[in-house]
Amino acid sequence: MNIITIENKKYPELLKKIGKGAPKQLYYKGEWQEDIFTNCLAVVGSRQMTSYGKRVVEQIVTEVAAAGITIVSGFMYGVDAAAHKAALLAGGKTIAVMPCGIDLIHPEYQQDLYGEILKNNGLVISEYEGSFAPTLWTYPRRNRIVAGLSKAVLVVEAGEKSGSLITANYARKFKRKLFVVPGPITSENSKGIMELLKQGATPISSAKDILDYYPADCRCLTSTEPLMLNIYKCDNLEQKIIDLLKRESSEIDVLARTFEMPVSKMGTTLSLMQLQGLIKQEGNKYYVN
Amino acid sequence: MLVKVASAANIGLEMIGIDVEVNVASRGLPAFDIVGLPDKAVAESKERVKTAILSSDVDFPNKKITVNLAPADIPKEGASYDLPIAVGILATAVSCQIPEKSLFFGELSLDGSLRHTKGALLLALFAKEAGFKNIFVPKDSANEAAVIKGINVFPVENLIQLLRHFSGKEAVKSLTPGVDEKTPGVCVEAEFDMAEILGQEQAKRAMEIAAAGGHNILLIGSPGAGKTMLARALPGILPLLADEESLEVTKIYSAAGQIPAGGSLLRVPPFRSPHHTASSVGLIGGGQRPPPGEISLAHRGVLFLDEFNEFPRAVLEAMRQPLEDGQLTISRAKERVKYPARFMLLASANPCPCGYLNHPKKACICSLRQIKKYQKRVSGPILDRIDLHIDVPPVDIRELSENQKASEFLEPSEKIRQRVTQARNIQRQRFGDEHIFTNAEMKNPQVKKYCNLSKPAEQILQQAGLKFQLSARAYLKMIKVARTIADLEGSPDIGIPHMAEALQYRPKSYEA
Repeated sequence: MNIITIENKKYPELLKKIGKGAPKQLYYKGEWQEDIFTNCLAVVGSRQMTSYGKRVVEQIVTEVAAAGITIVSGFMYGVDAAAHKAALLAGGKTIAVMPCGIDLIHPEYQQDLYGEILKNNGLVISEYEGSFAPTLWTYPRRNRIVAGLSKAVLVVEAGEKSGSLITANYARKFKRKLFVVPGPITSENSKGIMELLKQGATPISSAKDILDYYPADCRCLTSTEPLMLNIYKCDNLEQKIIDLLKRESSEIDVLARTFEMPVSKMGTTLSLMQLQGLIKQEGNKYYVN
Repeated sequence: MLVKVASAANIGLEMIGIDVEVNVASRGLPAFDIVGLPDKAVAESKERVKTAILSSDVDFPNKKITVNLAPADIPKEGASYDLPIAVGILATAVSCQIPEKSLFFGELSLDGSLRHTKGALLLALFAKEAGFKNIFVPKDSANEAAVIKGINVFPVENLIQLLRHFSGKEAVKSLTPGVDEKTPGVCVEAEFDMAEILGQEQAKRAMEIAAAGGHNILLIGSPGAGKTMLARALPGILPLLADEESLEVTKIYSAAGQIPAGGSLLRVPPFRSPHHTASSVGLIGGGQRPPPGEISLAHRGVLFLDEFNEFPRAVLEAMRQPLEDGQLTISRAKERVKYPARFMLLASANPCPCGYLNHPKKACICSLRQIKKYQKRVSGPILDRIDLHIDVPPVDIRELSENQKASEFLEPSEKIRQRVTQARNIQRQRFGDEHIFTNAEMKNPQVKKYCNLSKPAEQILQQAGLKFQLSARAYLKMIKVARTIADLEGSPDIGIPHMAEALQYRPKSYEA
């Protein structure tokens, strides 16, 4: 059985530091390499992720993971899963901390992601053995491991009663850095974030804010620069659309109204721009890629 | 004395000739019997006939009367045999001559008058095929029968009038066929005008394309976004039925008994919106003497399924084959009935159980599992048969009403209908002898034959196939939709703009 006890030398240092709460043993799947724990960032957030949250995770986590920082999260759907996915896509390392026995995949329908994590030198860990089913109290307890493993915690979208706030609390208790992604104050998913901001969490606006917190030598991998837009020649209208979308994502109806043109023609333009990779569609809104 | 009167029995959309043999025996105890597998309505016919004859001031023969409905092994149902039976008895009672090559059909009232009877149009069609010259039908059903040219349709009001006609005292004037052509153009009335709907430009455009090409369309959006309003506005942009289509539709409605008294050809495309508690028999058709179901009643029109995901899966799955073939055969132990069902499916659904997925203001409270389960209620094969998938995002009415009034986006339905009609005409000309009317009906070889993709348009489609992971069937759908968009513009070839716009209506995944 794959098990690391707290007496073991390989037991992550940072996690040990949380004191009495540190799990006595960790069960794991995958290959246990100590260096995966050196520079960890916990990424947590709402299960009901909005398209804004998804974009932020994709943008920030990709860059952070590509810089060689391990992304730790709780394998839930929503922000957790998006963070794991983004880390894998960037070719980075990621650790999933399960709220259930090590033999269970929870949620079960994410088994593809589970397989991907293990295939790409990632780790799945849990303090529970066998096929112990997740219960209401195992989720918050799992969060202390997520926070305990990481030098910093990044919260992306959290509602008023989000479980991410529990992770944030642990981060404060363990004296870890707490980053938050600011969101629109009108969104339900920003209420928890606003609370954290008021309590003194650090807002971030780019991956650099996080990377600066980590030692420079961890950046073993080359950072992926976002694709430059001017590879393609945009005509006047396309450029105007891009300029507008850069400020705010928008629906096709709104775009047609703004540029005062028939929606059929706007549809044609947007399809072509999408095919060229200039913009992308999520839900029913368009974004600049 | 034995008298034979011709009538017909209705099975599905077909008619079978029935000989009504009436024998008034000169000997035997007075009696009145009907044989030849009559159902309850036919058996009760004797009470109606007897009273109706008495009400017409004719003495009912107090003799042994036997009525045989031949061929004897076909079950007879409905009240349409009242008139032939009465005519047979009258012929002996007042010894008058029944005109040759005549069919009698209709339900009697106790006062001797005739009531509106379902199936008059089918009867007229049968009469023409079988070589009859005259048909006698209730006055209220005569308009319907008069649609068929080449036979004399006599609108009969009551038995007295009929007797006068037989005796030559006062002839019933036969209806001249094609009366309906003189009736003024029927106006399609929709609950809403497209101009009343603020915002939703793309959804309206998609409705226009769907109407023009007869494409199936799925509207997905939060509660209150305007899905139902859009759907209810659809009849206003549909063109009237052409002669051929109109006859097809009227036949089905005639069989279902849904043509109002005095009604003639149906010109307005049907719009059916069954509730989601509909049974599969109600939707598809079936039962002992299978009447047409909702999908057949929506033939050449629209079948609107609101709350698509709430329909039982089995009911939706049953629509798969008719959606593909445009017709269905209902097979039961004793009979097989074929009904056409070439309808345009208009479905509307919420994106998730709570309805607020991707809503800008309200948070969705569904878990991913719930959302997936909800979306899985409609199977892939059904979704695959829907050409246009469209989002109906919630709109801020207050903001819109201020800066959108009088803008060019608010086109009235009538204007859209003109474009749709034009596109339909182009399609009709193109498909001349293919026995199809719209782009949506095209099968693989026809797509190859009629959908000229310009080289760049083809490249775009291929690119999109890779980018959006389109299935082979989705490819075909995109081409069909692009064909309709080109038709709306009057363009013979499918160019880049048409293809690119068609891509807007591809199915999208709704995962959060």
